Amino acid sequence: MAAALASRLTKGRSLLGGLTNAFSGLMSSSNGSILSQQQQRTFIQMGTTLKVVDNSGGKEVMCIQSLRGKKGARLGDIVIGSVKEAAQKKDVKKGKDDIQKGKVKKGNVVYGVVVRAAMQKGRVDGSQVRFDDNAIVILGIKEKKKDENGKEKKKKHAGGFHQPLGTRVFGPVPHEMRLKKQLKILSLAQHLV
Amino acid sequence: MATSSHLFPQALHMIPTSQPSKKLRLSSFLSCAPSMNPPRLSVSRLSLNHSVSKSSFSLDAKARREVLVRAEGEGEGEGEAEEGVDEGNVEEVVEAKAARKARVKLGDVMGILNHKAIEVSEKVRPVPEIRTGDIVEIKLEVPENRRRLSIYKGIVMSRQNAGIHTTIRIRRIIAGIGVEIVFPIYSPNIKEIKVVSHRKVRRARLYYLRDKLPRLSTFK
Repeated sequence: MAAALASRLTKGRSLLGGLTNAFSGLMSSSNGSILSQQQQRTFIQMGTTLKVVDNSGGKEVMCIQSLRGKKGARLGDIVIGSVKEAAQKKDVKKGKDDIQKGKVKKGNVVYGVVVRAAMQKGRVDGSQVRFDDNAIVILGIKEKKKDENGKEKKKKHAGGFHQPLGTRVFGPVPHEMRLKKQLKILSLAQHLV
Repeated sequence: MATSSHLFPQALHMIPTSQPSKKLRLSSFLSCAPSMNPPRLSVSRLSLNHSVSKSSFSLDAKARREVLVRAEGEGEGEGEAEEGVDEGNVEEVVEAKAARKARVKLGDVMGILNHKAIEVSEKVRPVPEIRTGDIVEIKLEVPENRRRLSIYKGIVMSRQNAGIHTTIRIRRIIAGIGVEIVFPIYSPNIKEIKVVSHRKVRRARLYYLRDKLPRLSTFK
């Protein structure tokens, strides 16, 4: 267990090799900071930028709230984010990649489910999975708070889970989506991990 | 003396300070001791009375007696615990019980349990020799995906040895994104592990692959 943790911490970027490892081991144990050469992947929290991997129109989303967990969201959790970058209309090719109606524009506040996380997620059979990047699939746009819309939004969220806005999902998708009832994403996925 | 001193803390907490129960315990120790050195056991029992007074341990004399017997009972008394007991004082032979199974030495229980668990797993499915740098293919049965076995291919980035939870970390570029999965190799979910080829690496852990070109982690 400790050995596995140590291996996750070690990201061999150092020039000094073993010497730096020992030194940075000391550092991280005393400060608990990331200023050592070792990286520990953590949760998705406020300020984390995530890639959008469906064709809903967004490109990059910054997380402003994780709906689950005090420390942040992990693989499979839903987050609320603000669209920082959206696909321009002229960039998009016609055809299957077409941006959907009700497309997402820059500045929209959206719900999304994390489909890929750089932080490892443990599974019940003892395996762990981690990806190289953080990615979400946009589920729905959060309406501005008006009375009737506010009520509507609440009902939709409590009743079931949001369905993805886009019609295509890019990249690998983990099995955790099944547990989170995101079956549509599973069926749209290119590759299941 | 020094070698038997490490037994004291372990034995001490088991020893109550009341006397009558000690006598009982003494006999129970003797009766359950293996037959490693039966004559010496008898020596210890009978010569305890005068040997203990001569010993210079800082323990209670009765505790010392207990510990001596327990040391011999363990089979760990390398003869040095007996130095305190006068050797050859009494030569009476006590009938040792029939040879019993060797007792598990303290401190190695987890190792033995792990060995046993690995043996059981190996019987069901033998695990090939896997080292860092091997390109392996794993067939996994996912309970959610009951139809077919999932296949995972990739390069072994690291191997963590931890008894039954020995794991290997597989890396591969899937659909453009690097994915690393840690598999416990003795897991019953894994139906097959096959080493496809090997790449020469000069490290035990290939974390540098994360920074390198995706091409290096792509396996058809």
